[in-house]
Parts: sequence; C-alpha cells; structure tokens
Amino acid sequence: MTAEEMKADGAPLEGVDITPKRDEGVLKVIKREGSRTESPMIGDKVTVHYTGWLLDGTKFDSSLDRRDKFSFDLGKEWPNQNCFENFLNWKKYIHNHFMRFVKNSEDFRQMTPREANSPSWEFTLKCEVIKAWDIAVATMKAGEICRITCKPEYAYGSAGSPPKIPPNATLIFEIELFEFKGEDLTDDEDGGIIRRIRKKGEGYSKPNEGALVEIQFEGRYGDRMFDRRELQFEIGEGDNYDLPHGLEKAIQKMEKLEESVFYLKPNYGFGSAGKEKFHIPPDAELQYEVKLKSFEKAKESWEMNTEEKLEQSCIVKERGTQYFKEGKYKQATLQYKKIVSWLEHESGLSDEDDTKAKSLRLAAHLNLAMCHLKLKEYSQALENCNKALELDSSNEKGLFRRGEAHLAVNDFELARNDFQKVIQFYPSNKAAKVQLVTCQQKIREQHEKEKKMYANMFQRLADKDFKSADTLQTSHPEDAEMKNEQNGVEDKLEVDTET
Amino acid sequence: MPEEQSQTIMAVDELQAIIQRCQILKEADFRGEDFNLFQVAGQKCLEDGYAAQLLEVVQNEKNKVIIKNMGWNLICPLVRCILVYKQEDDKREHCLKILDQLVQLCNAKELFLGLLEQIEQTSGEQVCQTVMLLLQPLQTVLFKLQNKKAYSVGLSLAMIMNQLTPLPVPYTKQQIQEDKLGLCQCCNAVVDFAKPFVNEVVKNMEKSSECNDMELKEELLKFCVKSLKYPLLTAQLEQLESIEEHPFRRFATEIIDILWDMRELIPLVFLHHKGRSPSWENEEFVDIEQKNSADSLACLSYLMFVQYFGIDCFPMVFSPSYLLQCNMTHIEVLLKRTEESVLSKGLDLFESSLLRMEDNSLLHQYLEFSDFITVPQNLVKVMTLCPIEHLRKKSLNILQLFIDKFDAEGKYTLFRCLLKTSNHAGVEGYIVQNIKDQIHLSLTKVCDNSWFTGHHLISLLDLVLLLPEGAETDLLQNSDRIMASLNLLRYLIIKDNEYNNQTGVWTMLAKIEQNFLKPLHVGLNMSKAHYEAEIKNKKENRREAHNSNTVCSVTVSGEKMPAMTTEMQLQVLRSALFTFDLIESVLARVEELIEVKIKAVT
Repeated sequence: MTAEEMKADGAPLEGVDITPKRDEGVLKVIKREGSRTESPMIGDKVTVHYTGWLLDGTKFDSSLDRRDKFSFDLGKEWPNQNCFENFLNWKKYIHNHFMRFVKNSEDFRQMTPREANSPSWEFTLKCEVIKAWDIAVATMKAGEICRITCKPEYAYGSAGSPPKIPPNATLIFEIELFEFKGEDLTDDEDGGIIRRIRKKGEGYSKPNEGALVEIQFEGRYGDRMFDRRELQFEIGEGDNYDLPHGLEKAIQKMEKLEESVFYLKPNYGFGSAGKEKFHIPPDAELQYEVKLKSFEKAKESWEMNTEEKLEQSCIVKERGTQYFKEGKYKQATLQYKKIVSWLEHESGLSDEDDTKAKSLRLAAHLNLAMCHLKLKEYSQALENCNKALELDSSNEKGLFRRGEAHLAVNDFELARNDFQKVIQFYPSNKAAKVQLVTCQQKIREQHEKEKKMYANMFQRLADKDFKSADTLQTSHPEDAEMKNEQNGVEDKLEVDTET
Repeated sequence: MPEEQSQTIMAVDELQAIIQRCQILKEADFRGEDFNLFQVAGQKCLEDGYAAQLLEVVQNEKNKVIIKNMGWNLICPLVRCILVYKQEDDKREHCLKILDQLVQLCNAKELFLGLLEQIEQTSGEQVCQTVMLLLQPLQTVLFKLQNKKAYSVGLSLAMIMNQLTPLPVPYTKQQIQEDKLGLCQCCNAVVDFAKPFVNEVVKNMEKSSECNDMELKEELLKFCVKSLKYPLLTAQLEQLESIEEHPFRRFATEIIDILWDMRELIPLVFLHHKGRSPSWENEEFVDIEQKNSADSLACLSYLMFVQYFGIDCFPMVFSPSYLLQCNMTHIEVLLKRTEESVLSKGLDLFESSLLRMEDNSLLHQYLEFSDFITVPQNLVKVMTLCPIEHLRKKSLNILQLFIDKFDAEGKYTLFRCLLKTSNHAGVEGYIVQNIKDQIHLSLTKVCDNSWFTGHHLISLLDLVLLLPEGAETDLLQNSDRIMASLNLLRYLIIKDNEYNNQTGVWTMLAKIEQNFLKPLHVGLNMSKAHYEAEIKNKKENRREAHNSNTVCSVTVSGEKMPAMTTEMQLQVLRSALFTFDLIESVLARVEELIEVKIKAVT
C-alpha cells in the first residue's frame, strides 16, 4: 500500500479504539480477517510484516523493504498482577465486541466504556515494542491484516525517536500477523523448552543458580499426569527431586507468581534413559505446568529496607538451622552471615525493631560460632562468640562456646574462666560442669607436662654439651600427644551440639 | 668503478645463465638448487638497480614456466625496493610492473603465501604503505585460488588488521588531515579490498537460501567485528568541519553497509541481548567472538544510535525503554574504559538512549537489571575520577537525566543506592539536593507522593541526616554533603509543620539531634579550634623563620604540584575556617527554626 492509497482510503484517524484506557490512543481497522481464532499470548514470539507512516504520508519504516519479517516478544513487562488480569478481561471484551464491530461498527462506537464493563486502566505497558503495538498485536489473529493509528502517547511521545520520528508524532502502521509461538527458552533456540505464560509474574527478577524456589507443579506425559507436587528446593539440586534439568532451566526464567506451561523435548526432559519412577519411556516429550510461588535471591544490602532485612533474616535463620541439622555447616554459615551483613550496621531502628534485630544478630553469631566449631575454624568461632557476648555479656551459649573454642586451641585457662562463668550464671548447666572438670584436668596435665618438660630441659641443658641432636628428637612425641588431645576435644563437641 | 660494474653485470649474467639452463628443462625437473640460484640472482639484480633487465626477463614469453614456479621468490626483495624508491623513480615503475607480471604468472598458492609473509614482516611506519601496495595483488591472487579461498580471505584480513592494530588512531582534526602513517587511507583501502568478496557472498545468498558460503561470510563478519573495535572504537566519529570526507565516517559507513548486505546488522545489534545469533557452522567462532566482541558491539550501537549509521535499516517499533535496556550493556562496557575517545562514546550513547524517553516513564523494576545499578555507579566514577573536565560535566548532566527518567520508587531506590555506594561527598550532596527537589514536588503536587513523604522518606532521611563518623567526621571533606543535608533539613522544617507532619521529620527530630546536629556541633568546635591553632602556629613559624623556605609539598596522583608557600597554606586554612563558619551559620538557623516552631506549638 502506498501513502497515496492510504490517504485515498479516507481519513486515517478512523477505527475502533482498542486502548484499555479508552482514550482513542490506538485506533484499529481490520483490513483482512484472520484465518484462525486464536490470538497470541503474552511472551509469545510474534512474526509480522509491517509498514509505518507519519501522518503526512512519509513512510518511515517497512519490514517489506528490508525483505525480512519482523519478530518480537509480545508485551512481557506488566507492572503488576491486577493489570494482567485486567488485560485478560479486556482482551475478552475486545474479542466479543470486535465480532460485533465487524458486523455493525456503529454499535460499538456508541458503547460507552461503562457499558463495556471495563475495569480501571491505570497502568502503563512496558515492553520491547511501543505500547500501541503490544495492544494491537495482542488483538490480532494469525493471517489478519490491520491498520492502526497510534497517538504519540502510545508511540514515541514528546521525545520522538530521532532521526526518523519527530516529537509528538501520530503514527500509522499496517501490520500483517503471520504466526506466533511460545517462547523458546533454550540457549541454542532449538525449541527444546517452549513456554507459554498463563499468568504474568511480578517484577523482573528471576531465580538464579542456587536460589531457593517454592513451586507448585504438574507434569504430564501425553494425557497422563505423572507427577504433581508442591516443592521447595534449591536450583541446581533438582536432580535429587526427580525434576528434569530442562525444567530447572525453565524455572530460572520465571518471575515471582508466574504461572506457565513448559513443553520439554526429550533431551531437556528425562532423555534417552526415561524415568522408571514415573513410568516415562525413553525419549518422551513432557509437559509441565508450573507456578512459581516464591523464591529467594540474595539482595544487595542497600536494596532492602529495615522491614525486609528483618523478614529475610528470619527466613535465612530458619534455613541455616535446617542446614545445620543436616550437617551442612558450610552452607549454614553462609545463611547466618547474611543476617550479620544485613543488620550489623543498620542504624536508626525503632525500639521494637532494634530488639528484633539484636536478637537476630545474637542468634546469628551464636550459631555461626557453633558452625565454626564444627568446621574446626576456631578463630572464627571465637570472633563470633565475642560479637555475641558484646550484645549479651552473660549469654550462656556464647560463654560456653567460647570456652569450647578456647579448649580446642589448648587455651585451657581461658576456657576454664568461661565455663566457670557459665556455671556462675546458670548453675544447672551440666555440660559446662563436665567441661570445667576436663579443663581442670587438662590444666593439671599441662602443669605436669611442663614440669617434665622443664625437668627435661634442665636435663637437656646439662646434656647439651654432649649431644645437641638428641634434644630435637625428644620434642616430637609431645607434639603428637597434643594433636591427640585436640581430637579428643572434637569428639566431645559432637555430643554437645545445640542450636 | 670498473669492478663494481663487472659485479652488476655479473648479477644479470648469472640470472641469464640460470634462466637459460632452466628454459630447456621441464617443469617437473626444476631442482631446489635452481630455485636458490634464481632467487639469489634476481635479488641481486634488484638490489643493484637492474630492475629494467629483470622486467625484460619476467616479460619474456619463453620464461613463463620458470616465472610461474620460481617468481614468488622475488616478492620479498621487490617489496623492499619499491618502498625504497621515490614515487617518480623509473625503477619503481619497473618494479611495480614486475610485481604485476608475477601476480599474473605465478602459482597462486605460493604467491599468496609470499604476499602474506611480506605483510606479516612489515612493522612500524611501513605497515600502511606495505599493506596498500599489496592489497591489489593479494585480491587478484585470492580470486585465483582454487580451494580454501574463504580461509585465505579470512587469514589475509586478520593478518592485515593485526598489523594495523598497534598503530595509533588519529583523533584530532589535524591528526586526521595529516594522516601521518597513512592509517585513514589504508583502512578504506582494506574495505575496498574486501568488497568483491562481500558481493560474492551477497550474490550467493540471493541465489539460494542454503548457506553454502557460510565460511566466507563468517570470515568477513569477523573482519567487520574487528574493525568496529579497531580503529572505530577509538576513532573520532563526530562530523568535522572542513573535512569533506571524514575517513573514519566513510570507513564506518562501509562496515555497516557490509553487515547490512550480509544481513547480519540487526542480529548483531541484538546479539548480546537475545543471544539470537544466526546458526553458525563454526561453533567455536560463536563462543570466542561473543566474548571478545563486547567492545565491538558497543561501538556498533554507538554508530547506530548516536551517529545514525544504518538507522534506516533499524526497525522503528521498539520502545525507548527496551532500547535503553539493550544499550545498557554497551554503555557499561564503554564507561569502564578510561580513554577519552571511548568514554565520550559511552556518555553519548547513554545520553541519546535517555533522551528518547519521557521523564518519569521508566519503571522502578528496571533497577532489577544489574546494569541499571552498575552503570550509574560507573558514571559516578567518571564524574569524580576522570581527569577530563568536559566528560566530568557531561556525566553529571547524564546522571540527572537518568534520575529524571525514573518513576518515584525508582528515584527513591536509586538515591539509596548512590548514597551508599558513591563514597564521594560532592555526589552525596548532589543526591541530597535531588531528594529535596523530590520532596518539594511531593508536597506541592497531587502526584504519587508516597515515596517522598511519611515512613519511606524517614528511612531515606536516616541515610542523609547523620554524620558518617559522628563528631570525628572530616567536616571539610564532607562539607558538600553536610551543607546539602542542612539545607534539606531547613527546607523540611519550614515547609512542613509539626501539626501536619507530612514528611515525618517532626517525629524523628530527636534522632536527628542525636545523629546529626549534636555531633556536628562538637565537630565544628573541634575543627575550628584545630584550624585556628594551626593558623597561629603557621604565623609564629613565619615570624621565627622569616627567610627560611619552609614549604610543604603536595603530590597529586604521583605528580608533584608546585610547592606551597606559607602564605598559600594560610590561605587554605582560612578558607577552611570560612567553610566551618558557613556550616555553623546554617546550623544555627536550623536550630533557631526548630525552636520557634516547637514553641509555637507548645
């Protein structure tokens, strides 16, 4: 179509208002009915040919001239859930009324927005293409050709898009929709994981490797549902939960509260091995319907407000404890460290929050101390005990664990002091009493050993003139003895675990 | 003299001798020894200035077979001679003719290697000259090659680009006009060299949809990607007055045209963002190139969106926020560099991407993309650390532009982030000023104001209305921030009354006193006392050591600054005191206002 033809068609500003706001920002005229009844869904990859003109008839762009169809992902970015539901209602509404419009356009134009029962449309659409396109293409059917007239607010606005689109330009497009298909999530775009979004999620963040996700899902093979669960797991550990790796990959592309259907090719599903447990034969194509209920990704400290920090701290504390119980001390420390990093320098809290933050920090340091003891990282254990005792100088666990840390590095006197303090504040603490006895015993042993050593030393000094080489040898057995003692302490610690 | 003459005649004779012997031999009977003798004799002829005689030999129909087999040996001395002779020298003309003849006659494979070897061996000032001399022969030979043509084209282009890359790119107008090393001219000659191969690819693409020429296309694409990085990334690409045809703009246009003709322009623009790489045969290539191509792709975006090269081919339906999002990756790459040419490209690209957007239209969710956080941080680095003044100024303007584009929550989050990460009192002061402007808008307009009033605001003010290190804070270093904070507080107290308390400032007054005003008082007293004492000291010293040259030295990034005299030092100290007085007066005013307002209520 040439610009002349377009003008000859009559005033270009004709058409049906298809904007959710009903502000006549996008007017649509169907030039050729589509062949199918389905319209593309959000996130679908849509393929079109198009030509665009300015109001004065200047053609500014055409995919036909480029001899290349144009593809893009249909309106992905919705500010919030309500908007999405509104959008669905609105699509239904447009669908219903377009049918009528085709028969009798007058009817439609006389309808007021109120009659159309449109919800409130206070949102902005953000996506790959200008707003007008997202709105218009979502109403099209495969094979359809339409012409849309777009007000600047739905196109390039007051800024324009130099060098071709001047400020405040109304644009006219003729669009032909060829096909649309679910979004391909694989890296090589081999069609191995196809997504169709049922319900748009919130925000832009997605779970990354290692993120803890909570999902609800159904897996189907043909018509048979073979798996249906609610599950919480860490991305990367899906194998332990009988999830195909393609599904894990897919989950990493989901937004919070998104609901999607994924079509997995065999190599992204259970592959040539199949899955005995679910009676899945080799090389089966699978279909999963997933809702991402929540997930947790590490946020930068500055990104969080106090409330979030406190809330997240509680969550990671729980998780840390879980890891601890499973004997995953290293992972547990990572969790507890998060709490410290979030809350350590948080200032200006209300009294209530301050109390909460303090108790969380205290717990974090105490648990960190325990983990480090388990990992035999005694200096870090000590450091955390000290931090905990800064917050609460007579804390039972803090003192006890510091005692253990001291004991582990053979600082018997320091250890004794700590255990004594524990007993002084908490006379019923039996473990401390046992440790205190151990300490005293060790101290005695040490004394004796020292005595021997000094005695030896004098002996050696006396012998020095004869054989200096002998002295070196005598010190070795003692070293070995010390190491054994350390191991002995370790064994006792295992018994005393508590969090 | 006669001795010398006899020598040169000997050289020609020797050549004749070997030629005559070989004339009667069959091709297959040439021995290694013959090759050597031919080379030595030919080289000698050239060195002694007997190019005309050599030309005769080469042109002789009878010697065709010999030249075909042995001629490539002469390339090396030939090139050396051509570069030595002056433009108008007859001998140079003879040499060029010999070269022509060799290109016509010699075995393509050997000649190709011979030419490439020459390009590989050249260096320094001779690079461009040599390359320009050999491009034409190289092109002819490449078309003659029977197999491995794509590979050979790629090898030639890679070799040429590798040799050019160490050369400095002319940047100022004068440097470009002068083109001392011939780089500008040479680059455009290389594009012309590549063009016939591009045409071949394009023709094949039209013929069939099957990509039988994928390999050649890949090689040419590699060349384009490489060219974007060098010389284009560091070249001056703004239009220059009084230069009719800007050599690098021409070069850029040609490169973009090649990409477009091969239908790789648009995929390349979105390469990073969508991973929509075309289906390459060579997997390895994709991996390597994607990693190394960040600079090139950034330059491509700059060419498109700032200089509008190839913008006609770019679909005009993308939303401005999406374009910004795509360009963020490139902007980040560019802003991490320190060269003026690259930094200014990054700033230009950022600016033009932002100018396409309307104010307040960027959703805060965009901050969830990591580069929307790292880019402003890089921008702050340019603003505070870059030694080039106009870039510092520009980056500050762009930061403001970036802030303006976000919605209220986005601005809020951005302020928080910048306050916590900038580590620069000037920047912090600037952000505080911005916060004040936003509060003002919230209080005076009926727009979404929840982010700059009430509890959200309080949490933000917690970051502002305090001294980072209490009373020990270096007040002079932090004066920008402190003044801005005091101004903000003054504004809040005047604008918002205790009865309305829209901003929440009245509820947090006690905390402000504790964290900000009190330590500020203490700090001011300490600092003033310290500086006054220092001044007194200096004055006494001056009297004591009237003639001795007690000067203090200052070094800035390793460079010694001119020595400071006592008088200058005193001046600095006094201006510090002046700053403290200024802070003190505003502080007094704020406290006075608080008191008046509180009294009015009670």
